Formats: sequence, structure tokens, C-alpha cells
Amino acid sequence: MERTVTVVPEDGLHARPAAKFVEAAGEFDATIAVAPADGNDDPVNAASMLAVTSLGVASGDDLRIVAEGADAEAALEELEAILSTPETESEPET
Amino acid sequence: MAANELDSRSYEGTGVTPLSGVGTAVWYDPTADLELGEPPAADAVDSDAERDRFRTARERAQVELERERERTAERVGEEEAAVFDAHRQFLDDPQITDGVESAVEGGLPAEHAVESAFEDPIAQFEGMDGRMAERADDLRDVRDRLLRLLTDAERVDLSSLSAGSILLAERLTPSDTAQLDSERVAGFVTVEGGRTSHAAIFARSLGIPAVVGIGDALESIDDGESVLVDGEAGSVIADPTAERRERAADGRDVDVREERVSTADGVPIEVAANVGTVAELEGAIDQGADGIGLFRTEFLFLDREAPPDEVEQFEVYREALAAFPEGRVVVRTLDVGGDKPIPYLDAPEADNPFLGQRGIRRSLGPDADLFETQLRALLRAAAAEPGTLSVMFPMVATVPELEAALDTVEDVAAALESAGADYAVPELGVMIETPSAAFIAEALAERVDFMSIGTNDLTQYVMAADRENERVADLHDPCEPAVLRAIERAVEAGNATDAWVGMCGEMAGDSDLTKLLVGLGLDELSMSAVTIPDVKAEITDLDGATAESLANRATDATTRTTVSDRVHTTTDQ
Repeated sequence: MERTVTVVPEDGLHARPAAKFVEAAGEFDATIAVAPADGNDDPVNAASMLAVTSLGVASGDDLRIVAEGADAEAALEELEAILSTPETESEPET
Repeated sequence: MAANELDSRSYEGTGVTPLSGVGTAVWYDPTADLELGEPPAADAVDSDAERDRFRTARERAQVELERERERTAERVGEEEAAVFDAHRQFLDDPQITDGVESAVEGGLPAEHAVESAFEDPIAQFEGMDGRMAERADDLRDVRDRLLRLLTDAERVDLSSLSAGSILLAERLTPSDTAQLDSERVAGFVTVEGGRTSHAAIFARSLGIPAVVGIGDALESIDDGESVLVDGEAGSVIADPTAERRERAADGRDVDVREERVSTADGVPIEVAANVGTVAELEGAIDQGADGIGLFRTEFLFLDREAPPDEVEQFEVYREALAAFPEGRVVVRTLDVGGDKPIPYLDAPEADNPFLGQRGIRRSLGPDADLFETQLRALLRAAAAEPGTLSVMFPMVATVPELEAALDTVEDVAAALESAGADYAVPELGVMIETPSAAFIAEALAERVDFMSIGTNDLTQYVMAADRENERVADLHDPCEPAVLRAIERAVEAGNATDAWVGMCGEMAGDSDLTKLLVGLGLDELSMSAVTIPDVKAEITDLDGATAESLANRATDATTRTTVSDRVHTTTDQ
């Protein structure tokens, strides 16, 4: 199964949000692949930090996530949640 | 070259902290020891043993990264610490792990296999621009960590440099910067890097004088030479003349005043620090803060699965109070909502989060339980330490909201009383950050002990200009006459009652505006710790009557340009 998600974190899938995404992808039994939704690139292993960061996904880009396996549904839910959550800010708030 | 008093060599780069320091140059080249020789013949290598060596090194690297992550979170902040999460993921990357193991299988020793497996990915990211090139730095950092562990190379321990060292390096990786100790490092200078590099962010958080991006010219400075780093001007001077050193030592940036200060004509102004974590308290003391003017409590709540309990919060507030036994610590109750989602809080998305349910609106609504827990911890902490605890409520827009918050404090106090707990009711205050709060400041002031003006949000709301939106950034200036008048109004309301009035927005730390703010009649200014020495120096130099006349002329102005002209002509007189 698969779904398409718009990437919300301001930094796109760079160091910090990517680490969170890859870590989560690694925790599921399902085989998970991601690719930019524009369809030009082959899906890459979602549990590989190298592969995910090299997609160069920016905020606002649509990402297609494909998961196969017993917990595929749960995996998609969780990964979608990560991609749709803005980064917590630590700018001064006064 | 003999030291020539008249001929110091100077270098220009990007200054990243408004601080300067003088010390002894120490070149740091962590990769020099990691150069590998030719690998031995493939049949001389025991592949099984090499695979085990690699796996052991990888496990040790994971442990190191975990430790560095914790240390960085504590000293600098969660955001910077998260870079180590990326490193841990790179270390575990199947492409890299497989690459190393198949190279080992092919007869390479573990360290050569590591070097070879990282080669392509590093080259791939190097060829990309901006953020992607930073990933190449991350990969090099991870690779060098593995190589060091595999070759038992000495790790230069940057946390144990001799005091007064000025660190010179090609670049500083996140792992390097995580070790820096502002007690020992008098400054650092790098060949590469910009204002937003990891090294720059750490330098600002830790208050270390630093200049980055000098270029290869830096290499003409030798180990052991005397070096002056001016992080404000972005310059580095090798072999500075005695006169130059003295000027640096006299510079307003290095002159920390621990004592409280007054204007030249004797008006005392409290100068305090804004902090978000317990780790920042020490830096505030080092810069001469009289107390804490804004303790943001969000950091206690972010990045975790469940809210901190009363005991955990009590310990944090107590620690903050203990840091300033003779000062005041102003704690802001939880200010979240909209832009700062917290996983365990139910915060529905809003079209206009900044105009939505945030701050006190949540504390009196969905987060009422959290609010009570926080107040219980605060009231108990107030009794546990000798310093003055003040508690303020964010985002208040109406008198009933303030009264409801004050009633909650009363209820919590009554509950603690009947439970026989040790507690004290702290000073209670309100933040002036909505235009409505500024308009009804008199009514608010009558009900509280103090008011603190949060100029960042106040400016955003008065000007109706989202501070994150670059297209309207120009409107987001606290020197707009409308904002100044809102501030003036709050101060007048405070003067009409017994409430003291402070300011804890970024404006308070701009030393160019100190005269204006003192002239407006603020009793307290709270800011990032690094700007405290500057602002204290400004205050002692200024005359109350001149400041007041400047404030009058500034609030009469009709445009920001006029305000700016008036501020600068007075400053330059």
C-alpha cells in the first residue's frame, strides 16, 4: 500500500527531520520505500539515511511512501505523522 | 618573524558572536592522525576478525554519539543536539554498513573498508549545494569517528585545552564543537564556515568569541602565536600590539559587571537574562545577569512523550532560584499552542495559530491540569530557596483571563496549605504582548506585582505582521512609533500603580536602544546573556534626563525612520 504526503517541516527532509523519519521507518517490519511524488525518481529505502537525505526533499514537496508487509498500515500512519508535523521551534518566543 | 609592534597581521572573516578574546593559537587538525597507509595484501587479512572490529567500532561510535547528544542537549539545546541523531542514522545506514562489510569480505582491513565505503556518498553530497553539502560534513564526521576508533588514534580532547587557547581549525565538526568549553577556549577561528554553521551556533550559545570563514590565509598563523579574535567586527589579528590588546581588554564586550548598575544619575536598572534551560543559567551568571527576566518553560515540555511531573518541575525551578540567591527569577508559565505542537497535548491545527489558542488561553482551557501542576511546582519552589520567584502569564488579552489565572494560583495555594505543604506565593505578573493588554494595561497593572513587555510578539500583533514571513519582515520592527506607544502606555500604567515594568523581547538586548528604553521608564531589561555586558555598560554611561527627552521625542515621531534618526543623533552626542 502507499500514500502521498506533503512534507511540512521547514527544513524538508534534511538532517534532523530525516533522522526522525529514517529511525521510525527502521522500526517497522514492513519494507518501506519513498520517492518524490512527481514520479521521476525510483523509490529508495526509507530506512537508509543516505538514501532519504539524497532525495533532497524540501518543505512543501509531495512524497510517495510505499510500504509492504504486516505492519505496513501502521508504518504509513506513523511516517505520515512525522512528515506532517512542523519542527518544534526554539527561537525566542516573547 | 620577529614580533613587530607596528605590523600586526590581520584577517577578515565572519564574526559570529559579539565578543572578543585574546589568547594563544592552537592548531587543531584531527584528521592528520587518520591518514591510512597502503592496505596489506588481501590474503593477509582475516576477514572475520576485521568484520568484528568494524562492528565493535560501530557500537562504540553509537555510544559516543549518544553521550555527545545528551551533553549538547544540556549545554546548547535540543535543536543542535539533534544533529547527532542524523549521525547515528548515517552510522547505521544499510548502504554504508553493507559497503564496509563487502569491502572487508574482499580483503580490506576494517579501517580501509570504512574509508572506501564512505568515499562515494561523501563525493555525492559534496557535489550538491547548500544544505546537502552540509551532509558531506556530517558523513566525514561519522567516518572520522569510526577511523579514530579503529586505529586507536588519540582523540584531541578539546574540553581540556589550556585556558586561554584560541583554537584554529580548517573547520569544526559538530563533534568537535560539542566538546568546547568556554572556560578554557578564549575563542576560535576557522578557515571554512558561515554564520549558520554548527560551530557558529555553538559559539553563540556558549558565549565564545569566534570568527569563521577566514579562508586559507589563516594558515599563516602559527601554533603558539598570540591572537586576538574580534567576533563583533569579524576580524582576527595575529601578534596584536600591546595597544590593540589593551583596547580589546577594555572593549565593552569583555567587561562583565557582576554588580547591579544604575544610570550616571543614579536610576537603578535591573539587567537580567532570558533562558530556556537550566544549562543556560551558568552563562547568565558569567555575563553578569542580576537575575532571570524570562525563564521559558516550554523546553521542559517539548521533545518528550509525557509532560514533566510536579517533582521534576520543582527541581528545575528550584535550581534556577538557587542560581540567583539574591536576584529575581521570572518564570513564564507554559506558552504553547499553534506553532509549537507538543505530541501529548491535543492542539488542533488552526488557520492562524498566532491568533489561536495559545499561552494563557490553553492554560485556562485544555491545559488546565498542566497549569495547576506547574503552579504547584512553582509555589513550592518559591518557599525552597531564598531568591525572589516571579511568575508571569503569557498572551493575556482580558482582565477576566488574568483574574482566572490569579484565582488558580489562589486555589493551588489553598490546596497546598490544607495539605500542609511548604509553599510561598510568588510575585505574580502579566506579559504585555497583545495590543489589548497594552490598551488595558492600567487595569492589568492594578492586579499584579509586575508586567513584562514581550516585544517580539507585541510588535507582531501591533503591526499585524507575521514575524516568520520575510515578505513583511520590514514591518516587524519594535521601533515603529505604534509599538513604542504601546510600550509607553504599559510603562505609564505601571507607574500609576506599584507594579514594576520590565521588557524581555529582543529589543531589550539591543544596546543601541538602551537609552531609549531607560528613557521610557523601564525598571528591568531582560535579554540573551551575551548582550548583558554591552547593555550594562550603556546604562552606566547614560544620563536619565537625556534619555527621557530622547524617549519623548521618539514616541512623538510619526515614522520609524524619524525614531531611528533621533535615537542615533542622541547616541552619538
